[in-house]
Amino acid sequence: MKKFFSVRCILTYLLILSAVYAAYAAYYKIEYWGFNFAPKQNTNVWTIEAHVFFTPNGEPIKVSLARPTASSEFKILEEDVVANGFKVKEINKNSPRIIATAKAGTEGEQNLYYRVLLFDNVDGKGRVKANPPKKPEVPVMDDQLRDVAKELLNIAKTQYPNDEWPAKIIKLFNQLPPEPTVVAFLPMKKTQKDVAEAVKTLLAMEGISSRIVRGIKLEENKKSMAADLMLEAYIGGKWKLFNLKTGEKGLPKNFVIFQRGGDSLLDVEGGENSAVKFSVLKSITSSFKLAGKRAELADQKIRFDYSIYNLPLAEQNTLKWLSIFPLAILIVVLMRNVVGIQTMGTFTPMLLAMALTKTGFVPGLIAFGIIIVLGLSIRFWLSKLNLLLVPRISAVVIFVILIMQILTIIGYQFDFKVGLSAIFFPIIIMAWIIERASITWEEDGAANACREIVYSLVVAVITYFVVNNEYIRHIMFAFDELNLVILFTVMLLGTYTGYRLTELSRFAPLVKDKE
Amino acid sequence: MMFGWFSSLASPKRLKEAGVMGMNDRNYSIIAKYNKRRLYPLVDDKVQTKILANKIGINTPHMIGVIKYQYQVKNILSIVSGHKEFVVKPAHGSGGQGVLVIRSYTPDSFETPSGRKISFKELYQHISNILSGLYSLGGKYDVALIEELVHFSDIFKNFSYQGIPDVRVIVYKGFPAMSMMRLSTAASGGRANLHQGAVGVGLDIKTGLPLRAVMYNKPILKQPDTGADLMDLRVPFWREHLEIASLGYDMTGLGYMGADIVLDRDRGPMMLELNARPGLAIQIANGIGLAGRLKEIDKTYPSGLNAQERVDYVLGRLK
Repeated sequence: MKKFFSVRCILTYLLILSAVYAAYAAYYKIEYWGFNFAPKQNTNVWTIEAHVFFTPNGEPIKVSLARPTASSEFKILEEDVVANGFKVKEINKNSPRIIATAKAGTEGEQNLYYRVLLFDNVDGKGRVKANPPKKPEVPVMDDQLRDVAKELLNIAKTQYPNDEWPAKIIKLFNQLPPEPTVVAFLPMKKTQKDVAEAVKTLLAMEGISSRIVRGIKLEENKKSMAADLMLEAYIGGKWKLFNLKTGEKGLPKNFVIFQRGGDSLLDVEGGENSAVKFSVLKSITSSFKLAGKRAELADQKIRFDYSIYNLPLAEQNTLKWLSIFPLAILIVVLMRNVVGIQTMGTFTPMLLAMALTKTGFVPGLIAFGIIIVLGLSIRFWLSKLNLLLVPRISAVVIFVILIMQILTIIGYQFDFKVGLSAIFFPIIIMAWIIERASITWEEDGAANACREIVYSLVVAVITYFVVNNEYIRHIMFAFDELNLVILFTVMLLGTYTGYRLTELSRFAPLVKDKE
Repeated sequence: MMFGWFSSLASPKRLKEAGVMGMNDRNYSIIAKYNKRRLYPLVDDKVQTKILANKIGINTPHMIGVIKYQYQVKNILSIVSGHKEFVVKPAHGSGGQGVLVIRSYTPDSFETPSGRKISFKELYQHISNILSGLYSLGGKYDVALIEELVHFSDIFKNFSYQGIPDVRVIVYKGFPAMSMMRLSTAASGGRANLHQGAVGVGLDIKTGLPLRAVMYNKPILKQPDTGADLMDLRVPFWREHLEIASLGYDMTGLGYMGADIVLDRDRGPMMLELNARPGLAIQIANGIGLAGRLKEIDKTYPSGLNAQERVDYVLGRLK
């Protein structure tokens, strides 16, 4: 029984618990906040601008434009209306239309702009359950055309036996080169609308209700285009969407529906020659910046508000810097207690590694070398003066500062990166390295002093390569719960009683002799 | 050191079988368990250790004086007056750092055993360094302890190059568990630390006879400077050595410690210092794992004995 409550066991439970929590948090952040394991992930943000224009006829004006309503296929980042001289009804999440009104007597061509920013658009099924609409009326057409239509339905049936009716017809219409019969039914230069209407007609003959869906296809740099169309057919108790080019079923992720069913896309009362043109623009935003919006849309706002990612950027950057420290500490613990490398001061290598990430690797190492060599020479001169300890170390600190100043000035004047990197090294740490090294030098010889410095540097370099990895930095910040895992790992290492790697060599004579 | 290094590694499993104790095991399973933190000052402060030792009847080098404050440093000559020789050491020093032995002196010239002469200014500086904490753990302010020189026995003259040879006894729960003699060499600069190149001679805990000798972790047979056969090393007053070590436990209450004992020509074995975190090199000098030895003490040794009885038990029991 005792074993289950030993320090080691409790720490193991805590470690497992923290790992589970970190895994859950990672899932949560990816799912609701759109976080990613890879750094610098970007999200496409689509801006759709609807430009409504018309000429007023002197009567009171009411403009009504369909807008995309919230759905699971995309998220709305923001939307606004620019309509000078109009009163715009406030938009809420579920309002289906933009309503703008103006008094009678407005003159001149009127321009209204509706802008919506969307992101995270995904493929959807595009099915809507609905009560059956009334049977479509049999289209009125002359006998000749009716024969052609019947012929088309026959061809469609035989050529695409496995598709649903709308798909059969759409595919037939889009064949290249076109079937001669199709040419007889549709104009050579057919528009989306022509195709849509023709499909509707043929479907009506089969007794299938269908309707045109208007929306915007998200394509880059689309300017002043009319709305794009899709076809919706009522099959099996649901409205199903079909692509008018390919006959493919479902809502593709690059299609945003503005209007479906009986309503019109744009209604203008008190105006004439009204039209709406759409422009689409793609922009790229860091995924991180959209996390808050995602959280809000997923009703997880409070949790996000109390996370680091809602802090001002300056604070975030500081915390990002700090959140890599636990990992660096873990490396120091591993190096000392599992590998068994003796370094100068417990956290000196870690602080050196942190300095290296700011200076760059090679310039940093060279600057470190210069500071240590100059510092040691000065320290040897100081030791001849027989100063008291605290004033002597203080003198070393001041010398280190002076060396850094000189290096930085030289670095600036000669555009010499090594010099410029000098200022990033922690002054007190450098002074202590010099002091410790010089004492070791005097007491244990140069070899030992150099070995201590080299060992510290080796650990610093290892730490640097881990800490400087962009992926690791990103993950440690975005999934900061990992720091709990590190905490308990470090604590569990505090109960490690096994041999250190270096001891396997040190104590080797104890087992080798007995052979 | 890094290359060809992996091939020379021993497998952890075999080390474990041999009962070898690692640093982590020592710190976690032994020191943290048996050495209470509040007892540390008793051994970390050599002045305190000396006073305690004298109370319980352990022989130590006589104290000449203590310099606590900077202004007292200039009085060093009057403190040592009447003594032809003396030793200055930091009360909180470790590993022999900061120990200065003065064999003879005039008011402005002091001679060390190696014949090096230092000026009064340098001596003054050395004591100042001690006070400002250069040699103390964590750089804390320290005091300088001035004590009589140990006249080490001529028996070891051939085995040691300069410096004072001492016997290190590991005491576990009051029982002397393992011991070795540390002999300074030219490579160690006259110091008795194994990692600095001193020779360690493992001594059988029951008889005090040499088991094997190592230098820089490698077995050797002869003292590298004098050429003396290390297996001829004989430590007199072995029982007294063990008694001092065992009494160290009664004196401090530390469950795991190292006692450093030197042999004085006139006064016999004397305790130089105690160590609450003795190193593990003693295993290599003995060719025996410490973990196994401590386990044996845990399992089979009786409890409730006094220091004499514990020594008796060890002398009669271990081979």
